[in-house]
Amino acid sequence: MNNSIKQDFWLNLLDIIAIFLWSLLLFKYWITGELNLLIHPNYFSLVLITSIIFLLLTIAKIIQLFNYYQKNHNFHNYTNNNQHSNLLPKGWASSILIFVAILGLIIKPMVLSSQTAMQRGVTDTLPPTTLETQSFLTQTSPEKRSQSGAVRSLIEWVRTLNAYPEPDTYTGQPANITGFVVHLDHLPENYIYLSRFVLTCCAVDAYPVGILVELPKSRSNFPVDSWLEVQGIMKTETLPPVDSSQNRKQKDKRQLVLQAKEVKTIPTPKNPYAY
Amino acid sequence: MNQISSAFTLFTSLLVEAMPFLLIGVLLSSSLIFFLDENKLITKLPKNPFLGAIIGSIFGFFFPVCECGNVPVARRFLLKGLPTSVAVSFLFAAPTINPIVLWSTYVAFRGQPEIVWLRVIFSLTIAITIGCIFSLQSDPRPLLKPRLAKRLTALIEGQKEEKNINIKEYSLLQSGSFILGEKGKPIKMTQSLLDDTDNNSLSLWQKWDLFINNVQYELRELGGILILGSAIAASIQVFVPREIILNLGQGTITSIVAMMILAAVVSICSTVDSFFILSFASTFTTASLVAFLVFGPMIDIKSIGLMLSIFKPRMILYLTAIAAQLTFIFTLSYSYFY
Repeated sequence: MNNSIKQDFWLNLLDIIAIFLWSLLLFKYWITGELNLLIHPNYFSLVLITSIIFLLLTIAKIIQLFNYYQKNHNFHNYTNNNQHSNLLPKGWASSILIFVAILGLIIKPMVLSSQTAMQRGVTDTLPPTTLETQSFLTQTSPEKRSQSGAVRSLIEWVRTLNAYPEPDTYTGQPANITGFVVHLDHLPENYIYLSRFVLTCCAVDAYPVGILVELPKSRSNFPVDSWLEVQGIMKTETLPPVDSSQNRKQKDKRQLVLQAKEVKTIPTPKNPYAY
Repeated sequence: MNQISSAFTLFTSLLVEAMPFLLIGVLLSSSLIFFLDENKLITKLPKNPFLGAIIGSIFGFFFPVCECGNVPVARRFLLKGLPTSVAVSFLFAAPTINPIVLWSTYVAFRGQPEIVWLRVIFSLTIAITIGCIFSLQSDPRPLLKPRLAKRLTALIEGQKEEKNINIKEYSLLQSGSFILGEKGKPIKMTQSLLDDTDNNSLSLWQKWDLFINNVQYELRELGGILILGSAIAASIQVFVPREIILNLGQGTITSIVAMMILAAVVSICSTVDSFFILSFASTFTTASLVAFLVFGPMIDIKSIGLMLSIFKPRMILYLTAIAAQLTFIFTLSYSYFY
């Protein structure tokens, strides 16, 4: 083997490793359920299929490579793709792919936190990318509903509020919602913003929505990012809007607030996002 | 630490969502090796420049290639004597007007279908306009690189030796069958294989090999760029303060200009660029998102690099200027009227 054939062999090998590692990585995300933290469930099967095709590609490539080094000395002319105009220098693209795949195999994706929520801006309206409600059936199971008398999940509350924004309509209604804690500094000590991310495509467009909760005691008992299940009664309060900040002072407005009767800390759900 | 970890999560989320679409795009464009008889297709094309521009721009449906695949195909079109308008409008429309790109755009913007429509309409209009402009130049040779022009001259005069090289050498639908920086030397890559054969006379087994190699090549190169692009998108989202992005993204003009520059720099493949831009969907105006989706597939660092293998720099400058102006005017008037 002369040098350029040798180099060719190594570049091919690098590609094979890259494709195989990506197959592995996608499969790992699928089998461990970590896909829940990354993309919308509609596309789970696409990821699995991609992982399988990558694996098949790896096998096909190994067979090809083996065949040609065994039988065909013309191999160099045949598979030398490296003269193509590459944007990245030789071997870089596959090295980057390998590097990222290894990182992905080692590092677990994390649940988006209140920090991300603040970065994206908390509001009480739905984002433009969010789909309109497809059906008005609630996602809460009937068993759960009958226990507390509460019908809507947090997301359904936000959707309903977007459709009929008048807070007084809901006064006195029972509610039982789960979400993670966001502290908003411009609100009184005993208020938290119970939030969830809505996903339309993937974590990149995850958008925080939420409802204000009035706690019986100071919010310092409930650290940021802890997950809570809050039961209570809806009421109307006049408070600064959730999206006002120090730079952008806004007038107080009447808002729907959940007056908490019972607050339970719960573990982070396996599927923390809403769709 | 938390910041880095959340940036990494966003980064992987982009990659995981984009990878299947990248793979489908690559598989389809590579499978053309099996299915498409390019020579036959070309004989059926209209010679009328205006019709040619329209046909050329909807060709993407039959050549589902993204920016890296379309340049070699356009180059072969020119070498086979097709009107400039067909080649140029194909070059500009194919990366957007094809089934996979439309599907991925729809997936990313299910909540805003107008983005999909605007992307199609603006891209088509721009591609056809540019095609028509260049149809005034019936002889493409002054626009081309001298080496390519010479080959075309030879082709036109029917010099047999030259012709053999021209036609046979480029008869593969393979994105890589040309080189950027090789001084005066055409590619050797498939020459030994194809000296006396055409793509269609290859055995199935040989085609399979070419298919696998092409998939490998495109996956590697486009995947590498996808990773770099995703890293940029995720870092901007996490590390750049929200106030700065909002200020930039809410201005009508600044947002469009910012997005066009971003599109040109990031060079992300058109099958997955809608996922990339999704990370800006809540902070940037709709018009600017469309500007990104329309302009990016036409002009970016990567495609300019590739186009240098066909056109003179002056010609690329014209193309860039026209495409940029049209994108700007269209998206600006959209944001003005709606």
